[in-house]
Amino acid sequence: MNAAISNSISESAELTSQLQKRFADSQKQLPGAHETWVRVMRRSAMDQVVRQGMPTTRHEAWKYTDVKRYLDRLIADSSAGGVADVSAEALAGFGFEGLDCHRMVIVDGKVSQSLSQLESVPAGVRVESMARMLIEEPDTIEPHLHDQHLSGSFAALNSAMMADGVYLDVPDGIVVEKPLHLLFLSTTGGSSSQYIRNLIVAGEYSQVTVIEHHGSVGESSAFINTGTDVEIHAGGRVEHYKLQQSGEGEVNIGSVRTHQHRDSYYHSHSVAFGAALSRRDIHVEMNGEGAECALNGLYLVGGRQHVDHHTRIDHLRPNCRSRESYKGVIDGRARAVFNGKVVVHEGADKTDSAQSNANLLLSDKAEVDTKPDLEIHADDVKCAHGATVGQLDMHQLFYLRSRGLSEAEARNVLMFAFTDEVLTAIRVPQVRKFLEKIALAKLPHGAGLEELLG
Amino acid sequence: MLKIENLHVSVDGKEILKGVNLDVKAGEVHAIMGPNGSGKSTLSNVIAGRDGYEVTQGSVTYNGRDLLEMKPEERAWEGIFLAFQYPVEIPGVNNTYLLKAGVNAKRKHLGMDELDAMDFMQIVREKAKLVELDQSFLSRAVNEGFSGGEKKRNEIFQMAVLEPQLALLDETDSGLDIDALRIVAGGVNKLRSPERAVVLVTHYQRLLDYIEPDVVHVLAGGRILKSGGKELALELEERGYDWVLKEADA
Repeated sequence: MNAAISNSISESAELTSQLQKRFADSQKQLPGAHETWVRVMRRSAMDQVVRQGMPTTRHEAWKYTDVKRYLDRLIADSSAGGVADVSAEALAGFGFEGLDCHRMVIVDGKVSQSLSQLESVPAGVRVESMARMLIEEPDTIEPHLHDQHLSGSFAALNSAMMADGVYLDVPDGIVVEKPLHLLFLSTTGGSSSQYIRNLIVAGEYSQVTVIEHHGSVGESSAFINTGTDVEIHAGGRVEHYKLQQSGEGEVNIGSVRTHQHRDSYYHSHSVAFGAALSRRDIHVEMNGEGAECALNGLYLVGGRQHVDHHTRIDHLRPNCRSRESYKGVIDGRARAVFNGKVVVHEGADKTDSAQSNANLLLSDKAEVDTKPDLEIHADDVKCAHGATVGQLDMHQLFYLRSRGLSEAEARNVLMFAFTDEVLTAIRVPQVRKFLEKIALAKLPHGAGLEELLG
Repeated sequence: MLKIENLHVSVDGKEILKGVNLDVKAGEVHAIMGPNGSGKSTLSNVIAGRDGYEVTQGSVTYNGRDLLEMKPEERAWEGIFLAFQYPVEIPGVNNTYLLKAGVNAKRKHLGMDELDAMDFMQIVREKAKLVELDQSFLSRAVNEGFSGGEKKRNEIFQMAVLEPQLALLDETDSGLDIDALRIVAGGVNKLRSPERAVVLVTHYQRLLDYIEPDVVHVLAGGRILKSGGKELALELEERGYDWVLKEADA
């Protein structure tokens, strides 16, 4: 064994033993400690972390995303203080102008009841703190939290350490008309590591729109680890937005596991603008016939940002349809990773699947690693996938300039048009507008193009 | 207005234009005709400022200025418009937005105030009517999903809104049915004025049935071999290009 490898193994062993110690110290304070199944789940998840170690670039799924230099944040002391103050102005900056919605605010990983607005949630619909559920009603959530996040070390660590988050339950037949805005904020003095666990259960023929929104107030260097389980019963429809506007010093890692039953519909929009490093895993299991899902994604990164999206769609039953389109604009020395896997299992006939990933590189030093991946074990299927990495189209650029747009303006128009193709799929106009504004501001010289928003 | 002298242009090291001379005065309509591969499109692309064309000799002046020194957008601001042979589809960019940005960039360059949205929309609606373009096209993405004929009409519509001083039409007539041809020609004729000039690049004579040129040139093998009045176009239609080539060789 060479010295470098043995060195990194001992470093990794040192880290996991410290994580283990941290877990042992906090175990009794974590919500649900009195409940046997919760304790067992946490412990077995921690055992998995110790067994697997934290991911390194030698793990296939983390080949292009190196988290090593951020891992010490997981063992740094975290402040045990109460919920930090967030001003009304700061909060307003994360609001969607003109949108009437239910809102739950989570500050530094803890639900803030005082900042939340849930008065008008329809009768029967539950929007609760996950910590409260683990303490007061563990039986209600038990059927949904089993082992679902045990696929990788970060997910396992989330199961072991989950502290709070949001539980949403929409009963059969209920349509929640106003979107539910879940706002996760990190503050300057907040804990260095946050373990957030969300659970969304949509009953038969229910409908709900959930906006999972990450942002920071002041300077935060939090390491955020989020696990979200989504279960959609027969005929249910869930629109799931994940808007990542984390502060530039933050690390934001999260995974979503979605189980779809018969004829259900899941629409995910994953938008990543911020964080030093962000990673989003989405795993959709289509367990019922006639289910449909659409995964859209947009990432705009620059500087030394790193953004990684891993998705997996399992077609397990016949007549399911999946659509996936991720787009990214990468500037500076930033790096983007996309890995999208679609698996059509035996018997999943009449599967209809299409997947694409398109990237615009704005600088010579920007980098993209993209891998659309298709695995088919059924005969009668329709599947397409593809990826592109490129620069702006010269013909389009010349066309716009020949009409009088300056080169800089023409570039911006084309960049915005490229990203807006993903944003047009957003069904809540106020959310779309909010994101378009941020997208424009993120593009070089984009701020002067407000008119494009028409 | 436009003066081209001894223009030599190469593409990928291959010489396409081999000494073109052309003098277009305000108020004139010139037709440049010639067989495929004669360099017609190269000429219009060089005038509009597309990349990839290397001028190895000669000069192009526009209103006394060195045109080759100007960026494509500057040429547009100064009143040059190219109707593309193959208009580009630009998903996500609204037709009206493009025109407004174009019109206002030009006005800004000329030291004029931007048009207010109401005035602009009125102009746009009027011009759309002129080229019989359905109003729904205004809110669609530039050329996206347009048929061949719709794309060409959209070019003429843009030309009508931008009101160029020098309009270059690169094979605008190709692929048009007779009705579309009539509409396109109508748009060009409306633009004709003593202050403006039009250069029609075409392979066929039929467009000239609708737009009467003042001067007809035959471009072949990278040179203008013959120039004449509108009757030259009719002669070309009847006899083809071979006799001009032979005459030039003699």
